[in-house]
Amino acid sequence: MKLSPVQADAIQELGNIGAAHAATTLSQMLGSTVQMSVPAIKAVDIAELGTYMGEEQAAMVAFELQGEIQHGGFVIFYITKESAIRLTNTMLGLTDMNRTMNEMDESAIIEVGNIMVSAFLDATAELLGFVMLPSPPALTIDMAHAAMSTLIAGMGEEANEVLLFSTELTCDEHKIDSDIIMLPETNTLARIVELLENMMKAP
Amino acid sequence: MSDSSPQNQQTAMIGIGEYRVGSFPMMTIGLGSCIGLTLYDDSLKIGAMVHIMLPDSAGRTDRPGKYADTAIPAIIKELNALGSKNRSLVAKMAGGACMFEYFGANLNIGERNAERVRTLLKDNHVPLSAEDVGGKVGRSVTFLPGSHGRVSIRRANGTSGEL
Repeated sequence: MKLSPVQADAIQELGNIGAAHAATTLSQMLGSTVQMSVPAIKAVDIAELGTYMGEEQAAMVAFELQGEIQHGGFVIFYITKESAIRLTNTMLGLTDMNRTMNEMDESAIIEVGNIMVSAFLDATAELLGFVMLPSPPALTIDMAHAAMSTLIAGMGEEANEVLLFSTELTCDEHKIDSDIIMLPETNTLARIVELLENMMKAP
Repeated sequence: MSDSSPQNQQTAMIGIGEYRVGSFPMMTIGLGSCIGLTLYDDSLKIGAMVHIMLPDSAGRTDRPGKYADTAIPAIIKELNALGSKNRSLVAKMAGGACMFEYFGANLNIGERNAERVRTLLKDNHVPLSAEDVGGKVGRSVTFLPGSHGRVSIRRANGTSGEL
């Protein structure tokens, strides 16, 4: 599905609102300021996925979009492995950066992902009047490309191009760099675009 | 999808759904449920590498490298055109992992990919000499047709090995 510039702008604004809510929850959990980038929409050919995500180690908490549309795609909380350790250290009151990640870290990361993605989806649902519920979370800490390509392989439709819709959330004080990534299926995207266009038309 | 000049030994990166045939080094990074499959002909010192994403094309022909059932005939055909006999080819594969245990629908893609590749190789009389598949770990694979078809694997958990 190709987006017109107006449609892309509308989706960007939707992402802005969702990510702002997610940023607020992250900021509350960390007790410090969180900055947010302008949401970026990229149409990525699957053969080129490696230029966006490679072998770097990252923790990814993935949620399948459910609700009014079943199998609507995925929303992912992405955080580099180093940032993930800093994040859980901050939350758990630890300082050692060179430790291996344990179950406690994994639970903490899943919980952060859960809270942020719920905030993101709540805000977008409220705006659109369209409910996208997250599935239970699934965590993997691995090569970013390995995790992302597996999610793309699990998408219902057959596409050679995917729409990656990401907003970067950073916390300077704790040097935490994370992203909220949305990987919508065409049916979800079409529905969102339709709702946004209706909103813009409304007097 | 053709050979590069012999002096150009730059590593070719094989993205999802792509394949290359030749004697130059090839690499796929970050295999999750995808399969990195190599075929090597030691008599001609050439080989092919493909990055397969799904088991079945269901009739689609736009990206043969993306599906096991179109990828394997495509690379065999190209190797045949360069003079390789199926029986002198040796296959190795890696990947087919299960990255997210929770997602039921995703659970079997890696496994189904690997199973389909095994069947198709058998149907085409190409022996599978080694594999490193399954588990819950991402893998990167380097293939060196110029060094007797050496296939080395680097896993996300820090371990590495040769096939």
